[in-house]
Amino acid sequence: MILEHILGAVTDPWIAAPLHRLEHQDAVETVTLSREDMSRKRLRACTDKGTEVAIALDRASALFDGAVLLLDDRAAIVLRMEPEEWLCLRPRDLTEAISVGFFAGNLHWRVRFGDGQLQVALERERAVYLERLADRLADGRITLIDGDQP
Amino acid sequence: MNVHLPSAPKGPARIGIGGPVGSGKTALIERLLPALARRGIEVAVITNDLVTREDAERVRRSGLIDPGRVRAVEAGACPHTVIREDPTLNIAAAEDLEARYPGLDLILLESGGDNLASTFSLDLVDWWMFVIDVGQGDDIPRKRGPGIVQSDLLVINKLDLAPYVHVNADQVLTEAAGVRKGRALLGCACRPHGRAASDQADGIEAIIDLIVRDVLFTDIPAEVQGEA
Repeated sequence: MILEHILGAVTDPWIAAPLHRLEHQDAVETVTLSREDMSRKRLRACTDKGTEVAIALDRASALFDGAVLLLDDRAAIVLRMEPEEWLCLRPRDLTEAISVGFFAGNLHWRVRFGDGQLQVALERERAVYLERLADRLADGRITLIDGDQP
Repeated sequence: MNVHLPSAPKGPARIGIGGPVGSGKTALIERLLPALARRGIEVAVITNDLVTREDAERVRRSGLIDPGRVRAVEAGACPHTVIREDPTLNIAAAEDLEARYPGLDLILLESGGDNLASTFSLDLVDWWMFVIDVGQGDDIPRKRGPGIVQSDLLVINKLDLAPYVHVNADQVLTEAAGVRKGRALLGCACRPHGRAASDQADGIEAIIDLIVRDVLFTDIPAEVQGEA
């Protein structure tokens, strides 16, 4: 089946009621995508019940967590995004903050800032990131925080 | 309730073809064009070069495609800047081709890169492959890099040359598979030395099979959304 439209969101009033009814009939299937795949307009995926689907959207549409891709009397397909993991780093001082920020940018890591931390989105294995940060961690220039230990 | 919506005007799929200079990206396109045409797939091409239109002119002169369906983008800087950081030049070129050739099924966007870090923005392409070749040495897959690891398909080209450059092709493919962790990987010989291309061992048809499966979906029967 090729899904070409986003019909709405699970929270839309006109969708929520029929979706709730279908959930009781165990007729709602979920496609779970990585953040990277959420950026795509075309991809092939499997639902949690093993149904193979192809998603082919127009260029102006964008997938989002909770998007409803199919809804009829018998079935619905809902899109969910995989939870993201972040590596939380605290630089020792301003000099290191600038340095590790530049380093992350140079490696094209996706980051966010908050509470004095540089947080790196884990888009590959955690070990790949820790390998690149090993010297900084060993020197104490940065520390992993909030129980985020290697 | 049933939600019936007409088929949407999605436009052609867009595929990125990246990889180091000299790895055989343009040669691969020259092999893909007639093979895609045999399957009735309508194609246009956008090439990205640093400061020339060399690749576009080569494809135009190939006789394999209407020259009007080939556009050149001059990056003026590292090519990855116009396929990843700010792909608006390429998006504009693709939209221009889509408007001029409404029957297109597929646009191939080729871009060289000076290292293994080139990736395509998914705002620009739906799917992208990265092309390396055995002539660059047997250690390229081990060096990983975003192009090697993150591409939807890794193509290892010029496998037929492996014995002449002291490379064990099977080992390169095995190591690449280990680095890719399940992502698609295909060997290829765009210009098969001493062998007819029609023997299917060149890998071209396998690449197209994957494009059809992952992006064009022509193997899936048309079915209106909401009538499942």
